[in-house]
Amino acid sequence: MREDSARSRFLISLIVWPIILIIVFPFIWMVLTSIKPQTELFRIPPSFWPTRITFEHYATLFEQTSFLKYMRNSIILSTMTTVVVIVIAVLGAYSLTRFIYPGRERIATLVLLTYLLPSVVLVLPLYLMMVRIGVANSLFSLVIAYVSFALPYALWLLRSFMASMPEDLESAALVDGASRLGAFFDIVLPQTLPGIVSTALFTFIAAWNEYFYALILVNTDEARPATTGVISMLVTSFNIEWSLLMAASVAMSLPLIIIFMFLQGFLLRGFAGTGVKG
Amino acid sequence: MPSLTGETARLTKGWSLSRQYSALGMLLILPTLLTFLLVIVYPLVYAVYLSFFSIYTPTLQGEWVGLENYRRMLSSSEFWTSLRTTIVWTVSTLTLQVVVGILMALLLNLKFHFQSLARSLVLFPYFVSTVVAVLIWRWMFNDVYGILNRALLASGLSDMPLDWIGSMPNAMISVVLVGTWKYFPFVVIAVLARLQTIPSELYEAARIDGANAWSRFWDITLPQLWDVLVVIILLRTIWDFKEFDLIYLLTGGGPVTSTQTLPLLVYKQAFGMNAMGQASTYAIGILVVLLIFMVLYLYRTQGRGGQDA
Repeated sequence: MREDSARSRFLISLIVWPIILIIVFPFIWMVLTSIKPQTELFRIPPSFWPTRITFEHYATLFEQTSFLKYMRNSIILSTMTTVVVIVIAVLGAYSLTRFIYPGRERIATLVLLTYLLPSVVLVLPLYLMMVRIGVANSLFSLVIAYVSFALPYALWLLRSFMASMPEDLESAALVDGASRLGAFFDIVLPQTLPGIVSTALFTFIAAWNEYFYALILVNTDEARPATTGVISMLVTSFNIEWSLLMAASVAMSLPLIIIFMFLQGFLLRGFAGTGVKG
Repeated sequence: MPSLTGETARLTKGWSLSRQYSALGMLLILPTLLTFLLVIVYPLVYAVYLSFFSIYTPTLQGEWVGLENYRRMLSSSEFWTSLRTTIVWTVSTLTLQVVVGILMALLLNLKFHFQSLARSLVLFPYFVSTVVAVLIWRWMFNDVYGILNRALLASGLSDMPLDWIGSMPNAMISVVLVGTWKYFPFVVIAVLARLQTIPSELYEAARIDGANAWSRFWDITLPQLWDVLVVIILLRTIWDFKEFDLIYLLTGGGPVTSTQTLPLLVYKQAFGMNAMGQASTYAIGILVVLLIFMVLYLYRTQGRGGQDA
């Protein structure tokens, strides 16, 4: 029996792991391309493994292009969006799960609906709004736009989080004479902290990866995040700098890999199966 | 907001505790509502309003044209072609995402070596930026130096390099494949989570009754997955239908307009043709189609005891 299960594990591994390798192959290829000398990229017959590892493309990218500026913009943008969204969403989710007032259910439904609203509908009016109030082409305008998709999402995640938290401790504190806000800071906040951190990380990822609003709302290098910056800098109709692009792709994905390592246990425990922004 | 904290509110005479609580609840939801009003409700109403205007994008000047944009939309062949393209893209990629996603979730639910590492790796395409994903694929699709064509030639499967994204129907197939690769992990996450909650007694009982693996899948797994699958399909329909980044970056809607879906048409109208009012009309068209799925989704999730995460 025991031997049998060990053998079946081995056989299943033999089937599953090649599939996994195919799925992640594009990422392996991205990394390999980024560390190959330019000459090897265009050699015939091609080399799969680099015969010589070089970091010259990263050096070129960081020293001779605006890439670091775009990355800085991305960091500022994603952080600001996350902070604004989390502050509003924590209060909102707390209100939606722990208080009773007229219209509450309707607001919860509205949140869900806006979460599904396509950004292509909002982008043109937002563009006009930004131009009219004179903040077009700025990181600030992108923060406003990003809040429109990140807030419903964060609220939705946090709401299900808080709803799954037992209310006993909070009620006990209230009976002991704590104020509602006192109980919020002393009990609810620490209790839901893992949920808040996860939601913040998801929000950060969503903002970090965003492309559509950035394409339409920002048309200057000063405020371009990495997603649109890399494309406008390295992809022209005449020439595409593949090694630089792959190096940029690796650099843009590094923060995600780090965040992902924090989130994976959380994801695989089965939380938020449908609660991931797509 | 110090004026309405518990202590001060409690001192306010004539207010019951529950009244104070509900006032505090409304106060806490206020920032959400104001933000929603500013960045969602107002733009949404504005989008409808814009669709009645003819607006020249560079100057943002325009005039009221009533229903003219809608009349033009419904009589424009480009709209109907794009709608058809959107449906082709959505249905094909969604079907593949669901099939591959379920199969992968079933595999990942088995016991094998480094199972949790495998589960994490599979999710990665979903978390990486679409820009990065598309750049890698375009590099792999490259006519001369792309690894796919090199592999194809070296293996003798073809003696000509394939034009992956520059001709039809290759371009649509490539877009659908990349879309499947990027988004099937979403199905994996949701299905895997559900698989882990199916009581193992069900399988044991079936095994005692002599059911084989195939009938166990059809009679137990699939019915148990049904609810979550409906939700997944509704969500992914909405998200695939409105997909812009992946298609725009991979083919730009080309060759010519053969992979131009509705969101790309909106972008082209607004910033290529400089017709922002007309573009708004197309955007509203997308919204109307998606509203059906949004309502279905709402009905599905709200009707069953509130939110499900």
